[in-house]
Amino acid sequence: MTSEAVETELLLSYQQSDAGSRAGLFPAFLSNLKSLSRGGEVEEAAAWARRAVSLDLDYSSLVSLKKLLAVGHSAQRKKAVRLAVLGGPTTIQLVELLRIFLEGAGVAADIYEAEYGLFRQEVLTPGSGLDRFQPQIVFVATSSRDVARFPDAAMSDGGVEQLAQDELADWLRLWEVVHSRWGASVIQNSFDISPWRVMGHFSLRHKASRESFLEQMNHRFAANAPPYVAFHDIGSLTLEYGAREWFDPRFYLEAKMPCGPQCLVPYAHSVASIVMAISGKSRKVLVLDLDNTLWGGVVGDVGVEGIQLGQGSGEGEAFLQFQQYAKSLRERGILLAVCSKNEDHFARQPFEQRPDMVLKLSDFSCFLANWRNKADNLREIAERLELGIDSFVFADDNPAERALVRRLVPEVAVPDMPPDPAGYVQAVARHRFFETVSWTKEDASRAQYYELNARRKEIAAEATDLDSFLASLDMKARVEPVNRLNIERVTQLVNKSNQFNLTTRRRTVAEVDAIGSNPDWITLTISLNDKLGDNGLISILFSRKEGNTHVIDTWVMSCRVLQRGVEQLALNELVARCRAHGCSELKGVYIPTERNGMVRELLSSLGFAAAGNDGDTTLWTLSVRDQYSPWSTHIQVEKPDGQPS
Amino acid sequence: MDNLLSRLEEVFRLVFDDDALVLRDDMSAKDVEDWDSLQHINLVIAVEKRFSIRFATAEISRLKEPGQNIGSFRRLLEEKLTAKA
Repeated sequence: MTSEAVETELLLSYQQSDAGSRAGLFPAFLSNLKSLSRGGEVEEAAAWARRAVSLDLDYSSLVSLKKLLAVGHSAQRKKAVRLAVLGGPTTIQLVELLRIFLEGAGVAADIYEAEYGLFRQEVLTPGSGLDRFQPQIVFVATSSRDVARFPDAAMSDGGVEQLAQDELADWLRLWEVVHSRWGASVIQNSFDISPWRVMGHFSLRHKASRESFLEQMNHRFAANAPPYVAFHDIGSLTLEYGAREWFDPRFYLEAKMPCGPQCLVPYAHSVASIVMAISGKSRKVLVLDLDNTLWGGVVGDVGVEGIQLGQGSGEGEAFLQFQQYAKSLRERGILLAVCSKNEDHFARQPFEQRPDMVLKLSDFSCFLANWRNKADNLREIAERLELGIDSFVFADDNPAERALVRRLVPEVAVPDMPPDPAGYVQAVARHRFFETVSWTKEDASRAQYYELNARRKEIAAEATDLDSFLASLDMKARVEPVNRLNIERVTQLVNKSNQFNLTTRRRTVAEVDAIGSNPDWITLTISLNDKLGDNGLISILFSRKEGNTHVIDTWVMSCRVLQRGVEQLALNELVARCRAHGCSELKGVYIPTERNGMVRELLSSLGFAAAGNDGDTTLWTLSVRDQYSPWSTHIQVEKPDGQPS
Repeated sequence: MDNLLSRLEEVFRLVFDDDALVLRDDMSAKDVEDWDSLQHINLVIAVEKRFSIRFATAEISRLKEPGQNIGSFRRLLEEKLTAKA
């Protein structure tokens, strides 16, 4: 094999640059990757290609990465998510791009693509290609052309209402079949609505107009879609990229393409971000620089009065807008952190002394201002928050800092930031980093948990020993099976937990529902509160009866309640229920992943005996007869109605 | 080599993933490996993007029609670029 010279520095330089500079480097980048691949370094070429997948690449460049990316580890393939794409319009280009974006995000996917226009037949016909594929996620890639009924212009309001209900019923049935037949999640496009209204401005007041009817259908979808349906917001794409591009009809007319060619990339990217949300891979943390990112100027130079912020200048207001955006993210549960090159006391001054700051120190779950390099600081933040660094987004106005982070910690997403702060919100938001398919009260207070955790750590430092610390927290737990009220949160936690997760088995809402209603299964959910606040639902256990043995299928716990006695409490509760099931033995299995090393010794620390292994997977057993004595904890168990038991 | 032809050649090389592809005016769709209907759409999208032009609906598939070749496609492209300037 001839070895070709691969310029690693060029590859790195591509990886660390903003989109403007990357565009010029792309041809050389691509040809270097091809050399690398021809030289036998197929995996390495694929890794570079994955990191290059970006919303900023055009359609043709993304497709040119396809061959390089199509190198999966066989182990990864086994875990691949089975995604079906059912088009109204054609989906050929869309599927190519979806595959590329998912590869780029490290999500292995088997994709089934139906013939365009046949989405109803595929779903409703037993034995169809879709049926044989047994999808886990079904993306219904329809457009407003796939609406079966439209009102006549003269139809009465009542008639339109009835028609909309009938139309909705068809779609509900379609989703229901997908869900009941394969237990799959659904991604359903909203309808794209043309801005060229037949009745002009009056269209929106006339319920029988095409545009008004589509608006009504979108509202009905959002209001009536069950939790397993993610509603893909086409409207946000037509707004962001412009109706003139989205509705460019030429390629629909010639090739039945769903949108104009300029919109294919953002369309696929947007769908991929929902698939990632379903797979628990959305990002969770926004890390912010300070000087010239949250305010104008360098606070260490110009002082707290001299920074540019807020009313009085357009640019100053732009910084406030960006702060407001970050604040809104924090309020919905995205964690904020600071990573700034500064003296710590200077960095804190604006938060402490400027009343016009939107963000307060209490909004940040972690605040690092020092002179170390930002790659190290980001790693430090990840450690302190006990979160994977691949869940981080880093916003910094300084291109050199962005380049350093992209080079040294490529797992962190680092969006280009424009020179004008007025563009900061768009620069971050356009990447759809923080998609979610559900939202619960726990999400809203997630950021608070981390603050509370920091305070608990302070208390821990004061408490002379762990026992008295735990006792001082006055913890109360509520233990319940899976039920209608908690099933969304349970499914979310099962799919999001990576670290404290014994088996990393992912489940859809339907699967969790089936487990919860099967008498052979025990389901336990634990919610914990203490004197510092409510932690919400933080641990889940599923166990399956096999003869006189119970086998732990799933055990996950939120890392923020580690070492509080929840593990011991969970086991006590499980053992009690196993006995009630007439079982004498509890079996457990630990399936290692890259992320769950912290529970490798969990079962052994709880008194389980080793019972062999199957490759890396370890098997454990515990007798639950009389000799099991419950662990003592500092957690008081409440009955579901709030009374102590 | 004609500048436009060489820029067009770059686009073809990217789309057909063939760094050795050499474009000549007398070539047509059947002379290039893998030139199916999907690749054709990919090519038109790539050319529109590269040259910041838009083909009319009827022009999108013209290059695949009988009697058409790279030469006629290049002249169409020239017309569009002149009209734009």
